[in-house]
Order: sequence, then C-alpha cells, then structure tokens
Amino acid sequence: MKSEKFPTNTSLIIHFLRGSKRYFILAIFFAMLVSLLDLINPKIIGYTVDTIIGTDPSSMPNIFNNLVDKLGGINYLKANIWVLAIMIIIVALFSAIARFLFRLNNVKGAETLVKTMRDELFDQILHLPFKWHGENHTGDIIQRCTSDVDQIKMFLSEQLTSLFRVIVLIILAIIFMLQINVKLTILSALFFPIVIGYSYFFHEKIGSQFEKADTQEGILSSIAQENLTGVRVVRAFGREAYERERFEKQNREYTNLWIKLMHYLSLFWSTGDIFSHGQIIAIMAYGVYLTVNGEITTGNYIAFIYYNAMLTWPVRMLGRVIANMSKAGISIERLRYIMNSQREIEKENTIKSDLRQDISFKNITYKYDNSTKKVLDNVSLEIKAGSTVGILGSTGSGKSTLMYLLDRLYELNEDGGSITIGGVDINDIDRAYLRENIGMVLQEPYLFSRTLEENIKIAKDEATFNDIEEAARIACLNETINNFKQGYETSVGERGVTLSGGQKQRTAIAQMLIRKPPIMIFDDSLSAVDSETDAKIRNALKDNIAKSTVIIIAHRITTLMHADKIVVMDKGKIIEEGSHEELIALNGIYRKIHDLQLEQGKLIEEEENGRE
Amino acid sequence: MDENDKNIKLPYFGIPKILPYITKYKKKMIGMMFLGCIVSGLDALYPLFNRYAIDYFIGLQTLDTLGIFVLIYFGVLVIQVIVNYYSTYWSGQMEMDINHDLRNASFNHLQTLSFSYFNQNNVGYVHARIMSDTGKIGVLASWHLMDIVWNGSYIIMALITMLTINMKLALYVILLLPIAILLISLFQPKLIAYHRNIREINSQITSDFNEGITGARSIKTLVIESLIERDFDKDTSNMRKTSIRATRYSAFFSSVMVMMGSIALALVLWQGGLLTMERIMMIGTLSVFMNYALNLMEPIQWIIETIAALIGIQVNIERFTKLMETESDVADSKEVIEKYGDTFNPKKENWEELNGDVEFRDVSFQYPDGDEMVLEHFNLNVPKGTNIAIVGETGAGKSTLVNLVCRFFEPTSGEILIDGRNAKERSQLWLHSNIGYVLQSPHLFSGTIRDNLRYGKPDASDEEIMKALELVSATFVLEKMDKGLDSDVGEGGDLLSTGEKQLLSFARAILADPKILVLDEATASIDSLTEKAIQNAIDTVIQGRTSFVIAHRLSTIVDADEILVVDDGKIIERGTHKELMRKHGHYYDLYTRQYDEMIVNTIGNEA
Repeated sequence: MKSEKFPTNTSLIIHFLRGSKRYFILAIFFAMLVSLLDLINPKIIGYTVDTIIGTDPSSMPNIFNNLVDKLGGINYLKANIWVLAIMIIIVALFSAIARFLFRLNNVKGAETLVKTMRDELFDQILHLPFKWHGENHTGDIIQRCTSDVDQIKMFLSEQLTSLFRVIVLIILAIIFMLQINVKLTILSALFFPIVIGYSYFFHEKIGSQFEKADTQEGILSSIAQENLTGVRVVRAFGREAYERERFEKQNREYTNLWIKLMHYLSLFWSTGDIFSHGQIIAIMAYGVYLTVNGEITTGNYIAFIYYNAMLTWPVRMLGRVIANMSKAGISIERLRYIMNSQREIEKENTIKSDLRQDISFKNITYKYDNSTKKVLDNVSLEIKAGSTVGILGSTGSGKSTLMYLLDRLYELNEDGGSITIGGVDINDIDRAYLRENIGMVLQEPYLFSRTLEENIKIAKDEATFNDIEEAARIACLNETINNFKQGYETSVGERGVTLSGGQKQRTAIAQMLIRKPPIMIFDDSLSAVDSETDAKIRNALKDNIAKSTVIIIAHRITTLMHADKIVVMDKGKIIEEGSHEELIALNGIYRKIHDLQLEQGKLIEEEENGRE
Repeated sequence: MDENDKNIKLPYFGIPKILPYITKYKKKMIGMMFLGCIVSGLDALYPLFNRYAIDYFIGLQTLDTLGIFVLIYFGVLVIQVIVNYYSTYWSGQMEMDINHDLRNASFNHLQTLSFSYFNQNNVGYVHARIMSDTGKIGVLASWHLMDIVWNGSYIIMALITMLTINMKLALYVILLLPIAILLISLFQPKLIAYHRNIREINSQITSDFNEGITGARSIKTLVIESLIERDFDKDTSNMRKTSIRATRYSAFFSSVMVMMGSIALALVLWQGGLLTMERIMMIGTLSVFMNYALNLMEPIQWIIETIAALIGIQVNIERFTKLMETESDVADSKEVIEKYGDTFNPKKENWEELNGDVEFRDVSFQYPDGDEMVLEHFNLNVPKGTNIAIVGETGAGKSTLVNLVCRFFEPTSGEILIDGRNAKERSQLWLHSNIGYVLQSPHLFSGTIRDNLRYGKPDASDEEIMKALELVSATFVLEKMDKGLDSDVGEGGDLLSTGEKQLLSFARAILADPKILVLDEATASIDSLTEKAIQNAIDTVIQGRTSFVIAHRLSTIVDADEILVVDDGKIIERGTHKELMRKHGHYYDLYTRQYDEMIVNTIGNEA
C-alpha cells in the first residue's frame, strides 16, 4: 500500500483551505474589530451616567478625556447630551461596517472553500479507476460530496470563525471588566466553565441521538422510495395494506425518536437559562453590594451588566462548537477516504501509435485485489485489424473483464500477460488516446441530463448536426428521435424523458459512432434492442464501418454468427474459437446454445414446408 | 411544473387547507401558545429587576431586602424555566406529530391512486411530497407559530412596560419601529429570491455529482472528463458568486438593523439623559429603556422573517393538498366498497373465487395524458387458461392491454369482463389479489429473499418457497448467498444481478398462485440456458391459468393461443402463430427476420 496523500484530517483541511485562507484571516480580523467596537458603547453609557448625569470623575481613558476637553469640557457635554448620542451612533456605524466586512470575508472564504472542495472531489471522482466505482455505492459517495461538504463548510464558516470571535470577545470583555472591578469579574468568569461544560456535555450526548434519527429517517425515506418505484408490484399483488402498515410503523418509530430528542433539546434550552440567568442574578446582587459599598460607580455597574449580558449567548454557543468539532471531524474523515483513493496512474513517455492494427492478448490472467479467484485464466486471443470478433459466454465468464483490460479501464495484474495493438504494449500508449480510439458501448449506458442531440455530440464537440443525424441513423435511433415531439431537442436523463433500455443502448451506440473509432466494442449493448432492430443496426454498421475492428459481446447467436471469428468463453477461459460453421461442426457449447435458440425456428420450416 | 409553483398565493396563507390536520391537537396548541406568551412576557420583564436594583438599592444606598430580591428573581427564573420547557417540548411534539400524520396521510393516499398519476409524476417528485412538504407544514404549525407568539408577546410586553413608565420616551422608540418594519419589508423579497436561487443551484450541483458518479463509467469510456468538469466548474462558480452576492446583501441588511437598534439607544440616551438630569426620571429607568431600545429590533426582524417563511410554505401546502385532492381515476364505487371492502379493509369473506375468464367488450382506450385513441372498439375473449401473447417493437405500446386487464387504467368506453361480470363490479384488491405480475425491470424490496418471495403470499412456508424457486431454476441464487432465504437483497435488490432479480420476481409471482399471470418481457436479460429453463417453467405454470405474455423474442410465444401484434400503440394483427405466419404480414416479417439467417445456416450445415 502506498502512503496516503492526506495522512491526517488536518492535512486535508489545510489543502482545501489554500485558496480561502486569506478571506478567513480577514474575517477573523474584522470579527475582533466588531468585538472591540461593541465594547466601547457600554463605556460611553457608563460615562454618561456617572460623569454627565452624575458627578463622578471620568473613568475613561485619556484619549477620550482629551477629546471631551477639545469639545468644551464636561460642562459642554452636560448641556449637549446629544453629542454623546452621536458618539454612540458613530461607534455603532464603525461596528456595523466591521460587521459587514466580517460577514463578507467570511462568506467569501466559505464559498471559496466549498468550491475548492467540490471541484477537487469531482475531479478526483472522475479520475478514480473504473473498479473503484464498482466497489463503492453511488448513494454513499453522493452523500459524502453533498452533506459532508456542507457539514464542513458550516463548521468552518459559521462555527469556527465565531469560535474565534467569541474567544476574542471573552478576552476583551474580561479586560474591560477587570478595569471596572476585579472581584466582580472573577465571579462572572467562574460561570464560564460551567456553562461551556454543560453545553458541551449536552451536545456531545445528543449527537448520537441525532445520528440515530438520521438513520431512521433514511429507512423511512427508502420505504417510501421503494413503494413508489415498485408501485406496479404493490398494486399487482394487492399489497397496499401491508405497505401502509410498514410505512406507518417506521413513521411512528422515527417520530417517537424525534419527540424524545425534542424532550432533551427543550430540557437543555430551558435548564441552560438557569446557569445564564443565575450568573446575571449573581452579578447583579454582588454588583449592587459593591456599588452600595462605593467600590464601583453606578455607571460602571450598568456597563458591567452590559458586558456580562453580552457574553451570555456566545459562551453558551462555545460548548456547542466544541461538541460539533467531532462531527466535522467525521465528515472530513469521510472526504479523506475519497481524496486518498488512488487515481488512475498516468505513465510518462507514452505514445500515440496507430490503432488500426492487429490486437493481441497474450496469456492474460486476471484477479481482483484481495481475491484468489481467477476472473481470466491464461487467455490468449488474436484479433486481425478490421475483422469482426464475437464473444459468447455466460455471465461471469470474464468476457467484459477482457474488454475492460483492453480499454485500460482495468489495469493488468503484474505478470498477468500482455495486450498489444500492432505490437505496441497498450501500457505504452497514451491512455486518453487509447480510450478515445476504442469506442466502447456498455451494457447499461448512462445518458446525461441533456438533450438527445447534446448526448450524441458529447463524444465529439465539433460534430455537425449532419454527423449527429448520420450516427443516429446507423444506430436506428433517427426514427425514434423524430417520433418525439421535440425531436433531437428532447431532454433525457434525470430531468427529461425516460428512455427504454433499448433506446438508451442505441443512443450510446450513436454516441460512439460519431467518433468513428478504429476499434469498436459492443459489450452486450444490443441486449435490450429487439431482434429486428438488432439486425438493422448490424447491417447498417457493416456498410459504414468497414475499416474498424469490431468486437461484439452478446448472448444471441444471430448477433454473433456473421463475425469473422467467434470466441466462446467459460469461467475465465476460452473454450471454443472459430467461425460459425467451424463451431457448429465442433458440436460443443456453441452448438448447444445455437440449437436452443434455434428450436423454434424449425417450426417455421415445417410451416413453410406445409405450405408447399 | 416547478416554475408555476413559485408564486402561489392562497387565502390566509393556505392555513385553512391544513386545519383538518391541526384541529386534533387544538388543546395542546392553545396550551403551548399560552405558555409561550408567559415565557416571553417574563423575558420582557427582566430589565425591570435591573431597574429596581439601580433605583432602589444603589439609588437609596441600601442592601436591605437584597436577599428577598434575589429570591424573587430566582423564583421568576424557575417558573420561566419550567414554562419554557413545556412550551418548547409541546411545540416540538406538535411539529413531529403533525409531520407524522401528514406523512401517513399522503403515503396512504398514494396507495389508492391509479397509474395515470404515477405515469405523469416522477418518483422523485412524489417522494418529495411525502418526505419534505409535510415537514415544512409541520414546522409552520409549531415553530413558526411559536416564533410569532414569542416575539409578538415580547414586543407587546416591552411596549406596554415602556408606555407605562414614560410615555414620551417610549414614543421615541416606537417612532423607529415603522421605519424598521418598512426597511425589512423592502429588503426581504430580494433576499428570498436570492435564497431560492441558491437552492436551485445547489440541487443542480447535487445532480451534477449524481451524474459524475453514476455516469463515471460512461465518462471514462468516452474520455470526456474535461468537458464534464468544465460544466461542473460553471455551476460551482455560479454558486460561489450567487452566495457571496446574497450574503453581501443580507449582511448589509443586518448591519442596518443593528444600526437601527443603536440609533434607538442613542435617542434614549439623549432624551432619557435630559430627563434624568432634570431628575424627572431615575437612572434605573433610563437603563431599562436602553435595554428595550437595543433588544426590540431583533424580534421585529424575526416576525417579518417568519411571515416570509409563511409565504414560502404556501407552495408546500399547495403541493400537499393537491396530492390529497387528486382522486384516483380508477376508483371502486360505493356499492363495491360496501360489499368487497376497500384497499385497506378488504372484506374477504364476500370475495368470490376468481375463475380467470377475461373479456374485452367493445373497448376503446386513450391514456389520460395521451392525445390519441390507442384502442378502438376492441373485442377479445380470453377464456380461463388461455395464453395471450403481445409482441411488437420496443416502445410500440405493448403494455396497454395488460394495464387494462390489471385495472391500472379504466377503458374510456366499453367494458372489461372478469368471469362474465364487468370488472368494476368487484374491488380492485380482489382482482389484484388474483394476479401475478413479472416486470421487465424487476423490482425487489429491501429485506430478505424470504420477505420478497412472500410478498404475494405472506403465509407461504419455506417448502412452498423452495418449490417455487425450483420451478424457475433459481435455487442457485440461494446457494450463492451465505444466509439462504435470510440473505439480504439490498436496497431495491441491489445485491443481485438483473437476471437473478428477474428469477426471484418470477418465483414471487408463481408463489402467489395467481389465476391470471402477466409476464412483461420477463426473459429479456437472462442468458439462453437459464431462459430455456424459465421457458419450461412458464409452460408449466401457465397451465390452467389465464396468461398475458409480453415478449421480445418470438420463440417464447409461438404456442400462445392468440398473439396480438402491436405497432405504434395499436393492435395491427391478431391470431395464432400459424395464422399470422400464413398472413405474411408484420408478424411474419418480425419472426422470419429473427430466424431466417439461422435456418439458412442450419440447412447449409446439414447439407
């Protein structure tokens, strides 16, 4: 196993943060500024109460006192209180601007980060080997790319920056509070660990409950999903009552879980008030005591109460942020799995050789990782340039694997034989070039959520509409498309018209044909097409692709019988090889399958004979 | 479809439409609102404690009764904590219970809808009705309602207190409120539009991911990675740009709102300061006012945001009620339900034995969303045990007849007779309980193999199950799985191959011992050897059963009692294999083309 690209969560986060760091740093700077500015106004209010309304000497810093002197001294302010009001507004204005800049930089950071994460994940996914996609569940990967990304974004942009903000706020507020009174500050600070601890403890505990609820929701959601996709089965078996019972049971379970969660949450929210308000009461009582004893002024008492109140909510939030760190940690871990997966290896010094050459498979033996079972066992096969080869075999006989190896969708095992095209080892050929020139139609092709025209054109950007129509015609798709109201403009895929399996296969064939690749592989890609269309396509192909090397994998003898060479595969080995006539004469498996498929044909014969 | 949903306006925000689901919880709702009022009312009163502390203890320089003061404060706090617990817990319960009821109602209603509904609405869309619209409505009846109660009662209580203490100073603060409300109402609509836009881009990105992941193999074989990435980058860039714009706008807006609070504070300090200097007002009172001035803006903002949310939820209410108001176009009449029971409460004791005679009498049919008659004055008699085959090209409309037999759709005119009586005279469930159905794309439910096979016959014994599996040569599937019948098939049968799923769904249909059997291209993705085995099984099980077989490969249906050839949605030929061959028509073409090449070779071979 090679060493991982991102050995720790931190290394991955740092990697993702590289474009957005500066925004977050700016955001934190402005957040600090906001905290600082917010702490000034209570001081002005305290000053107003003590020095302007009351008669105490100023406890403000000298800069402020000098400013007051320039304006005309305390007596000027006493006559014009509005000046203080204006000061408050000016401070508030600066605070508002800093607040705006904080949020702006924060969102720039967050969105840049999310974009980086998504782009990199997407790029990674597209460049992971074919096999990886077979081994991993689509739904799981999508969830990692969407909700885990959101989770990390939320944590970094909403929680982590406010964590900084809160810490700065607490430090600054404590400095301001200390100036007013040390004892009162200590009393206030005593409550912080209690509030943070309680909040942390609670969120830590409730976290697993949320996960449970999520799981239950997933189950409920898939019951509904299966019911809807299987609506024909449900109806045809008359099982509506059973479905209803199943859904209602799960619905009840899920609801009860949430109600229990609601109970905990309500308990936390309401009991949390005891600590926060308890702190307020304690500060108020002790503050009153100190004020009456003349240790602090009335204005400072009011200012202190403000500072204390300012900290109540942020401190409560702190516990939650800490608890959520573990959640975000799990999400990062889940992304790390994707980012650490080995991409397709790009070799250096590759060439772009001519692919209209003989293809040669030599002693191919292939095993999946961690498996001892041989999917292919010493397979050798020669394919003449420009010839047509048919491959027949049951599911799991290794015929598709052989083709995946040729297209380098799978990489050959070490000492697992070699594949050459015109004598050049395919590992020495540029991979993208190789795949571009091997047109491979999969058994279950995927159509993109675009129009039919775009779907065909996707394989060749510079294709004209005539090219597209021509490819569609050869694939016997033209007529189908023209039957759609919007013709080639018809949207397919997730948000468009649902095509039948055969129509999808034909679209994929058109997609391949538009490239006119020198090697064409049909991996059981005519299975959902009816025999008539199957024949039409094959005839059209024959007229149009004379120079290409064609490999057809199929279960139907009629599809294969005209091939120059037919190969029968079983359990990873080639067991019969030759022309149709040769294989029939051989009287082996090919003959047996042929006869089974043919049996009904004899009836025609009798029918025809009977008419004569 | 979604485009039209955007700006729905219903009378009273559509709330009357969901009242029936809420009235059940009337008592709890009133209780929770009442308690909510108390919680916020008390919240608004807390500054008064501070006022008392400043004016009484500090003003009079006394610590007398400070202990009692603390006790009272604490007493109020405890009351508020308890009341707060119940009001939030009940609100949470309310949300969950209403969600629960709405989900059940929509799911159960969907079980009664006919196929035309499912043909016209895709699964994702319908699924969102059950799982997401209901949730939004639940939030409306609980948290949104409480937001209005909480914030509303805080504002009212604060205003009353201010007006009582000092009318003039109160008016200064109140003067700012209309300006704040106006500002919020001006900002809000654009903010909502931004958020909607962001949601749309977000779902686009999700479906991009979906495409990149599900389509990964095709992307690789076509070598179009860079093209797909370019498109993806367009969407993520758009997302970044729009989100930043939206936040810039909302950050500006919230900064303005915080400024409004500070202006109120400044006004109070100025005017209140004058009053205090003139000894008309005490310092504690000034502090109370400053507190309200700062804290009034947020609840106002909340209320307006809640109203905006209410406007948004109308879409969900509309979608939900539209679903609930959709009536099945295949519905049993009152008399039928009375006698045979409905979908959920069948009266099986009144069910007659189904014999299996099916007859189309002068049937004309047009799909509810189609614009052409696909059947016109069609007659077909299918006596018990008859095997009908339907053939034609992909997409020719072969399922229509089967849809009618299964009563997934009703004929536009004419009637379908089951055992000589109009199908409408008996319940759908009665008919469906007697039909076995095997689909082209087999559908299994998550659960064990046993669960799935028992789907059509819940009380089937393991012996019966094994027998059915043997009949369709599917016992090898069991051998492959490590837990036999208890093996999990995965979501939608994901852990099995298509061929295996097909075999199991075949066994499932047979197990139910149906009188009428429908096979919809059931053998499309099974290799020849397995197919032959299944063909043998079919030949056995259709004995004595009325059966409809939709087939691609004509070899499987030559023995059918009647073959219907469908093209472009219409039946163009009918007859037995022999008759149709003799006719030298469409069927003959289909059939000979499939086998011509083969015969030539066989003859050539034998020669």
